[in-house]
Amino acid sequence: MIQLKIVECSFFVPIRRDGNLSDGELHGTDCWEWLDDQLFDQFSGRTIAPGLYEGFYRDPDTKDRVADESRKFVVAVTESQLDELRELLSVACKKFQQKCIYLSIAGQVEFIEANDHETS
Amino acid sequence: MKQADKYIDLKGREISLAELTSPERKLILEMTLAAETATDWADFSNLWPLKVTELYANQNLTRPQIRHTVVYRVCQDLDSRFAVSRGLARRPDYRDELASLIEQRFRTRREFCEATGLSEDMLSHVLAGRKHLAINTLEESLHRIGYSLHIAPAASQ
Repeated sequence: MIQLKIVECSFFVPIRRDGNLSDGELHGTDCWEWLDDQLFDQFSGRTIAPGLYEGFYRDPDTKDRVADESRKFVVAVTESQLDELRELLSVACKKFQQKCIYLSIAGQVEFIEANDHETS
Repeated sequence: MKQADKYIDLKGREISLAELTSPERKLILEMTLAAETATDWADFSNLWPLKVTELYANQNLTRPQIRHTVVYRVCQDLDSRFAVSRGLARRPDYRDELASLIEQRFRTRREFCEATGLSEDMLSHVLAGRKHLAINTLEESLHRIGYSLHIAPAASQ
Protein backbone atom coordinates (compact mmCIF):
# COMPACT_ATOMS: atom_id res chain seq x y z
CA MET A 1 0.00 0.00 0.00
CA ILE A 2 1.39 3.39 -0.97
CA GLN A 3 1.66 5.79 1.95
CA LEU A 4 1.03 9.35 0.82
CA LYS A 5 3.30 11.92 2.40
CA ILE A 6 1.26 14.48 4.30
CA VAL A 7 2.65 17.93 4.89
CA GLU A 8 1.61 20.45 7.53
CA CYS A 9 0.91 23.82 5.98
CA SER A 10 -0.06 27.02 7.70
CA PHE A 11 -1.00 30.38 6.34
CA PHE A 12 -2.00 33.76 7.68
CA VAL A 13 -5.00 35.76 6.54
CA PRO A 14 -5.16 39.34 7.82
CA ILE A 15 -8.55 40.30 9.22
CA ARG A 16 -8.55 43.52 7.18
CA ARG A 17 -8.22 44.24 3.49
CA ASP A 18 -4.95 45.76 2.40
CA GLY A 19 -5.07 49.50 3.03
CA ASN A 20 -3.09 50.35 -0.08
CA LEU A 21 -4.69 47.88 -2.46
CA SER A 22 -8.13 48.35 -0.95
CA ASP A 23 -9.74 50.25 1.94
CA GLY A 24 -8.22 48.55 5.01
CA GLU A 25 -11.67 47.58 6.26
CA LEU A 26 -12.67 44.30 7.90
CA HIS A 27 -13.63 41.51 5.52
CA GLY A 28 -17.28 40.76 5.01
CA THR A 29 -18.39 37.46 6.50
CA ASP A 30 -18.82 36.10 2.94
CA CYS A 31 -15.04 35.99 2.50
CA TRP A 32 -14.46 33.91 5.60
CA GLU A 33 -17.35 31.61 4.70
CA TRP A 34 -15.91 31.14 1.21
CA LEU A 35 -12.50 30.21 2.60
CA ASP A 36 -14.02 27.75 5.04
CA ASP A 37 -16.08 26.13 2.31
CA GLN A 38 -13.04 25.72 0.06
CA LEU A 39 -10.91 24.22 2.81
CA PHE A 40 -13.73 21.91 3.84
CA ASP A 41 -14.29 20.68 0.28
CA GLN A 42 -10.70 20.45 -0.91
CA PHE A 43 -8.73 19.52 2.18
CA SER A 44 -11.40 18.00 4.42
CA GLY A 45 -11.00 20.69 6.99
CA ARG A 46 -8.60 22.96 8.78
CA THR A 47 -7.64 24.12 12.25
CA ILE A 48 -7.51 27.75 13.23
CA ALA A 49 -4.96 28.75 15.85
CA PRO A 50 -6.37 30.60 18.85
CA GLY A 51 -6.42 34.38 18.88
CA LEU A 52 -5.00 36.74 16.31
CA TYR A 53 -1.38 37.03 15.20
CA GLU A 54 0.04 40.53 15.23
CA GLY A 55 2.76 41.31 12.73
CA PHE A 56 4.19 43.94 10.49
CA TYR A 57 5.89 44.16 7.12
CA ARG A 58 7.23 46.76 4.72
CA ASP A 59 4.81 47.42 1.90
CA PRO A 60 6.76 46.78 -1.32
CA ASP A 61 4.89 49.56 -3.15
CA THR A 62 4.62 52.34 -0.57
CA LYS A 63 7.68 51.29 1.51
CA ASP A 64 5.58 52.03 4.59
CA ARG A 65 5.65 49.86 7.68
CA VAL A 66 2.29 48.11 7.83
CA ALA A 67 0.97 46.39 10.96
CA ASP A 68 -1.71 43.76 10.70
CA GLU A 69 -3.62 41.15 12.67
CA SER A 70 -4.17 37.76 11.12
CA ARG A 71 -5.91 34.46 11.64
CA LYS A 72 -3.59 31.47 11.34
CA PHE A 73 -4.94 28.45 9.47
CA VAL A 74 -3.35 25.03 9.64
CA VAL A 75 -4.09 22.32 7.06
CA ALA A 76 -2.64 18.89 6.45
CA VAL A 77 -2.26 18.19 2.75
CA THR A 78 -0.66 15.52 0.62
CA GLU A 79 2.31 16.64 -1.47
CA SER A 80 0.23 16.24 -4.60
CA GLN A 81 -2.26 18.76 -3.21
CA LEU A 82 0.27 21.51 -2.57
CA ASP A 83 -0.38 23.25 -5.88
CA GLU A 84 -4.08 23.10 -5.15
CA LEU A 85 -3.45 24.93 -1.88
CA ARG A 86 -1.24 27.51 -3.61
CA GLU A 87 -3.96 28.08 -6.21
CA LEU A 88 -6.60 28.46 -3.51
CA LEU A 89 -4.49 31.04 -1.67
CA SER A 90 -3.87 32.88 -4.90
CA VAL A 91 -7.62 33.25 -5.34
CA ALA A 92 -7.89 34.14 -1.64
CA CYS A 93 -5.42 36.99 -2.20
CA LYS A 94 -7.88 38.61 -4.55
CA LYS A 95 -10.92 37.76 -2.46
CA PHE A 96 -9.39 39.13 0.75
CA GLN A 97 -7.75 42.01 -1.11
CA GLN A 98 -4.18 41.17 -0.11
CA LYS A 99 -0.98 41.72 -2.04
CA CYS A 100 0.23 38.32 -0.90
CA ILE A 101 -0.46 35.60 1.64
CA TYR A 102 2.23 34.09 3.87
CA LEU A 103 2.30 30.32 3.45
CA SER A 104 4.53 27.97 5.39
CA ILE A 105 4.96 24.45 4.00
CA ALA A 106 6.68 22.29 6.58
CA GLY A 107 8.69 25.32 7.67
CA GLN A 108 9.51 26.59 4.17
CA VAL A 109 7.96 29.99 3.61
CA GLU A 110 6.37 31.19 0.37
CA PHE A 111 4.50 34.39 -0.39
CA ILE A 112 1.53 33.63 -2.59
CA GLU A 113 0.32 36.42 -4.82
CA ALA A 114 -2.95 36.89 -6.64
CA ASN A 115 -3.14 35.12 -9.94
CA ASP A 116 -4.16 37.92 -12.27
CA HIS A 117 -6.01 36.09 -14.99
CA GLU A 118 -8.33 39.06 -15.13
CA THR A 119 -8.40 42.59 -13.82
CA SER A 120 -9.20 42.83 -10.13
CA MET B 1 -37.45 23.13 24.49
CA LYS B 2 -39.48 24.36 21.53
CA GLN B 3 -37.34 25.66 18.73
CA ALA B 4 -38.50 28.11 16.06
CA ASP B 5 -39.04 26.48 12.68
CA LYS B 6 -36.98 28.99 10.80
CA TYR B 7 -33.60 30.59 11.14
CA ILE B 8 -32.85 34.04 9.76
CA ASP B 9 -29.28 34.41 8.61
CA LEU B 10 -27.11 37.53 8.62
CA LYS B 11 -28.39 38.49 5.18
CA GLY B 12 -31.98 38.27 6.36
CA ARG B 13 -32.64 35.03 4.46
CA GLU B 14 -34.97 32.47 5.99
CA ILE B 15 -33.64 28.96 6.44
CA SER B 16 -36.38 26.46 7.19
CA LEU B 17 -35.76 24.14 10.12
CA ALA B 18 -39.04 22.30 9.63
CA GLU B 19 -37.55 19.17 8.03
CA LEU B 20 -34.72 18.73 10.50
CA THR B 21 -34.31 15.53 12.45
CA SER B 22 -34.10 15.56 16.20
CA PRO B 23 -30.26 15.14 16.24
CA GLU B 24 -29.93 17.99 13.75
CA ARG B 25 -32.08 20.30 15.88
CA LYS B 26 -30.18 19.25 18.96
CA LEU B 27 -26.86 20.12 17.33
CA ILE B 28 -28.08 23.54 16.20
CA LEU B 29 -29.22 24.27 19.73
CA GLU B 30 -25.90 23.03 21.12
CA MET B 31 -23.92 25.18 18.67
CA THR B 32 -26.08 28.24 19.38
CA LEU B 33 -25.19 27.92 23.04
CA ALA B 34 -21.54 27.26 22.21
CA ALA B 35 -21.40 30.43 20.10
CA GLU B 36 -22.92 32.42 22.96
CA THR B 37 -20.38 31.21 25.46
CA ALA B 38 -17.25 31.06 23.29
CA THR B 39 -14.59 33.66 24.01
CA ASP B 40 -12.26 33.02 21.07
CA TRP B 41 -13.44 33.02 17.46
CA ALA B 42 -11.09 30.14 16.64
CA ASP B 43 -12.60 27.93 19.35
CA PHE B 44 -16.03 28.14 17.82
CA SER B 45 -14.72 28.00 14.24
CA ASN B 46 -12.92 24.76 15.07
CA LEU B 47 -15.80 23.23 16.99
CA TRP B 48 -18.78 23.42 14.66
CA PRO B 49 -17.32 21.79 11.50
CA LEU B 50 -16.15 18.89 13.64
CA LYS B 51 -19.60 18.44 15.18
CA VAL B 52 -21.37 18.76 11.85
CA THR B 53 -19.04 16.22 10.23
CA GLU B 54 -19.61 13.83 13.13
CA LEU B 55 -23.36 14.22 12.79
CA TYR B 56 -23.32 13.10 9.15
CA ALA B 57 -20.50 10.55 9.51
CA ASN B 58 -22.79 7.56 9.00
CA GLN B 59 -24.72 8.93 6.05
CA ASN B 60 -21.99 8.73 3.39
CA LEU B 61 -22.44 12.37 2.46
CA THR B 62 -19.70 14.04 0.44
CA ARG B 63 -18.12 17.22 1.79
CA PRO B 64 -20.07 19.44 -0.65
CA GLN B 65 -23.27 17.65 0.34
CA ILE B 66 -22.56 18.28 4.02
CA ARG B 67 -21.82 21.90 3.19
CA HIS B 68 -25.28 22.31 1.72
CA THR B 69 -27.09 20.93 4.74
CA VAL B 70 -29.18 23.27 6.84
CA VAL B 71 -27.10 22.44 9.90
CA TYR B 72 -23.84 23.43 8.21
CA ARG B 73 -25.33 26.68 6.89
CA VAL B 74 -26.80 27.63 10.27
CA CYS B 75 -23.58 26.82 12.14
CA GLN B 76 -21.54 28.78 9.62
CA ASP B 77 -23.88 31.72 10.07
CA LEU B 78 -23.47 31.47 13.85
CA ASP B 79 -19.73 31.64 13.24
CA SER B 80 -20.15 34.76 11.10
CA ARG B 81 -22.40 36.37 13.71
CA PHE B 82 -19.76 35.67 16.34
CA ALA B 83 -17.13 37.44 14.24
CA VAL B 84 -19.36 40.43 13.56
CA SER B 85 -20.36 40.77 17.22
CA ARG B 86 -16.68 40.81 18.28
CA GLY B 87 -15.70 43.35 15.63
CA LEU B 88 -13.61 40.82 13.69
CA ALA B 89 -15.63 40.87 10.46
CA ARG B 90 -18.26 43.10 8.99
CA ARG B 91 -21.79 42.30 7.97
CA PRO B 92 -22.06 41.45 4.30
CA ASP B 93 -23.24 44.31 2.10
CA TYR B 94 -24.31 44.72 -1.53
CA ARG B 95 -20.68 44.51 -2.69
CA ASP B 96 -20.31 41.04 -1.22
CA GLU B 97 -23.53 39.96 -2.90
CA LEU B 98 -22.32 41.44 -6.16
CA ALA B 99 -19.04 39.51 -5.90
CA SER B 100 -20.95 36.27 -5.22
CA LEU B 101 -23.26 36.90 -8.14
CA ILE B 102 -20.31 37.46 -10.47
CA GLU B 103 -18.65 34.27 -9.27
CA GLN B 104 -21.73 32.15 -9.59
CA ARG B 105 -23.14 33.46 -12.85
CA PHE B 106 -20.22 34.76 -14.90
CA ARG B 107 -16.89 33.35 -15.98
CA THR B 108 -15.06 36.64 -15.50
CA ARG B 109 -15.64 40.14 -14.22
CA ARG B 110 -15.27 41.32 -17.79
CA GLU B 111 -18.19 39.15 -18.86
CA PHE B 112 -20.28 40.61 -16.02
CA CYS B 113 -19.33 44.14 -17.04
CA GLU B 114 -20.24 43.49 -20.65
CA ALA B 115 -23.63 42.16 -19.58
CA THR B 116 -24.42 44.96 -17.15
CA GLY B 117 -22.77 47.92 -18.85
CA LEU B 118 -20.62 48.72 -15.81
CA SER B 119 -17.01 49.63 -16.48
CA GLU B 120 -14.39 47.17 -15.30
CA ASP B 121 -12.51 49.98 -13.61
CA MET B 122 -15.56 51.07 -11.63
CA LEU B 123 -16.38 47.50 -10.65
CA SER B 124 -12.84 46.99 -9.45
CA HIS B 125 -13.06 50.07 -7.23
CA VAL B 126 -16.45 49.01 -5.87
CA LEU B 127 -15.38 45.46 -5.02
CA ALA B 128 -12.18 46.74 -3.42
CA GLY B 129 -14.28 48.99 -1.18
CA ARG B 130 -12.89 52.20 -2.63
CA LYS B 131 -16.08 53.45 -4.26
CA HIS B 132 -19.81 52.94 -4.15
CA LEU B 133 -22.25 52.55 -6.99
CA ALA B 134 -25.15 54.97 -7.20
CA ILE B 135 -28.38 53.13 -6.46
CA ASN B 136 -29.90 53.90 -9.86
CA THR B 137 -26.73 52.68 -11.62
CA LEU B 138 -26.78 49.46 -9.63
CA GLU B 139 -30.49 48.99 -10.24
CA GLU B 140 -30.16 49.52 -14.00
CA SER B 141 -27.12 47.25 -14.24
CA LEU B 142 -28.81 44.45 -12.33
CA HIS B 143 -31.98 44.82 -14.35
CA ARG B 144 -29.97 44.07 -17.52
CA ILE B 145 -29.07 40.65 -16.17
CA GLY B 146 -32.46 39.86 -14.69
CA TYR B 147 -31.86 40.89 -11.09
CA SER B 148 -33.38 43.62 -8.94
CA LEU B 149 -32.71 45.45 -5.70
CA HIS B 150 -35.04 45.10 -2.76
CA ILE B 151 -35.15 46.24 0.83
CA ALA B 152 -35.18 43.46 3.40
CA PRO B 153 -35.53 43.43 7.18
CA ALA B 154 -32.14 43.54 8.90
CA ALA B 155 -31.12 40.34 10.66
CA SER B 156 -30.81 40.65 14.42
CA GLN B 157 -27.41 40.16 16.10
